[in-house]
Amino acid sequence: MTASSTIPVQRGAAAEPATGRLFARTCAAEWTRLWTVKATWWFLAAAAAAMVGIGAVAGFEAAASPDPPQGEPAWAISAITAMPAQFALLALTLTAVTSEYATGGIVPTLQWTPRRGVLFLARTVVTAGAATVAGVLLGLASALAAFAAARPGLRLPVGEGVEVLATVAFVLAAGTVLAVGLGFLLRNTAGALVAVFLLMLVLPLLLPQFGYRWMSALADVLPGTGAAFLLLGEVPGMTTASSVLVLLAWAAGALLLGGLRLIRDDANR
Amino acid sequence: MIEVRGLTKRYGDVLAVDDLSFVVEPGKVTGFLGPNGAGKSTTMRMVLGLDRPTAGRALVNGRAFATLGEPLREVGALLDPGAVHPGRTGRSHLRVAARANGIPERRVAEVIEQVGLGGAARRRIKGYSLGMRQRLGIAAALLADPRVLLFDEPMNGLDLDGIRWVRGLLRELADQQRTVLVSSHLLSEMQQTADRLIVIGRGRLIADATTEDILRGLGHVEVRVLSTQADALLARLRERGLTVRRVDPDELRVEGGTAVQVGEVANSCHIPLHHLSEVQQSLEHAYLELTSNHVEYHGRQPTAARVSPEGER
Repeated sequence: MTASSTIPVQRGAAAEPATGRLFARTCAAEWTRLWTVKATWWFLAAAAAAMVGIGAVAGFEAAASPDPPQGEPAWAISAITAMPAQFALLALTLTAVTSEYATGGIVPTLQWTPRRGVLFLARTVVTAGAATVAGVLLGLASALAAFAAARPGLRLPVGEGVEVLATVAFVLAAGTVLAVGLGFLLRNTAGALVAVFLLMLVLPLLLPQFGYRWMSALADVLPGTGAAFLLLGEVPGMTTASSVLVLLAWAAGALLLGGLRLIRDDANR
Repeated sequence: MIEVRGLTKRYGDVLAVDDLSFVVEPGKVTGFLGPNGAGKSTTMRMVLGLDRPTAGRALVNGRAFATLGEPLREVGALLDPGAVHPGRTGRSHLRVAARANGIPERRVAEVIEQVGLGGAARRRIKGYSLGMRQRLGIAAALLADPRVLLFDEPMNGLDLDGIRWVRGLLRELADQQRTVLVSSHLLSEMQQTADRLIVIGRGRLIADATTEDILRGLGHVEVRVLSTQADALLARLRERGLTVRRVDPDELRVEGGTAVQVGEVANSCHIPLHHLSEVQQSLEHAYLELTSNHVEYHGRQPTAARVSPEGER
């Protein structure tokens, strides 16, 4: 074939960087992708308003009550405010995945990172990681706001703070990984949001109300029940171990299914 | 170089691409031509690893695209210019691409200038016209100076200036010994742009040759003749073995003859002529004929020009 003489010098395949380097680059690209859309900032602002706002209000109320607290730890407020605020962070990670399917942006994304396993890991780590770190920082801010507002009624013992913030981090990490997995699995913002709200909020609240034992048992294996127990306590029938197990199982399951769909199916059809 | 071997894609009952094989060589602009729904985009998506072939394979520079670590350094592609997040600015969009492939940031500014996006690059993509989105997509394709380029209908939505610019760019890229594959459903567009054509219809290969060869094979000459005694002339011409069809009560079209021949026939029978000329059959018409058996969605169109029964061959 005469055309072969015109082919430019082949660049060796060996010149391609190692997978670790490619993963780091993909993470950098995902980081830029995450913070260059407004939705991310709006969801973060909503989470901040919920956590810091409620924290401050709770602090003021505690100070103004006829029976003010006597040196109780402010950290409880971090866990309590994380309960509503987690939904803003779940929506943040979820839309980071599904908006690519809504806009068709997944097509250029896969042209730039065709190794789908690399893309999947990078997106999971960056979006869930960013949301979890943001949630922990907001949890810290929430407790500080409550402490400042209620001074001198509340205390900030370091040991308990680490424990509470670690719990918040675990719940958020498991929840956001679940959201990423569902986003990749369902490829649809509305559908995935409904699924997350059902699993994390609606069904865990609703099912025990019917009074059937099997419904309560079903509620006990939903991720929202585990999150509620770890953050708020007060869920009959749950233990720390069962809550952790339930959350991990759901996160891992959703991640597996979402990953399989991304890697095996056509890009966006 | 792009190699497609036995590529097949089935969506349920629909065979979108059917055992397609071709090679796209460097140094020329190769046009990928076919009516809407012929399978051009699906083929390109499979070449780019977006869709998994039902059978067959596609290789770019000898490798499957989906295995490339730095794909932008090998292949630049523009599929659907609308497939971008509208909330990002054009510049952010390109920065993401640059980061993913380890390309220095200054290239982003360079390609923005190269495609003429200039000041718009700092605006959100939602405010872009289709033409600007095409330019943004082309900028992303050129970002890492790749050896292979694929463009799916890059002229769509561009004004005349834009179309000229794309044409010039495609030529320039091919002259730099790159492999350039550009799809279109318009033959007239490809006629001006492509050195070689791969024509498909209903997912099947119809023709694969140089543009010149294909046009020569398609566009044959006809003689157009007007006469008030068209009946008599028709009979005489057919006696001489010429293929004649009537397009109007007074107008005939003669295939396989010359104006001189037709004039002499008319003269020998004393038939007055009102018009006599040789016309090149419209290429669009010929292309439609070539692909008509392969068009998936037919519009029902009355063929007014062919209603006179005796005019039909």
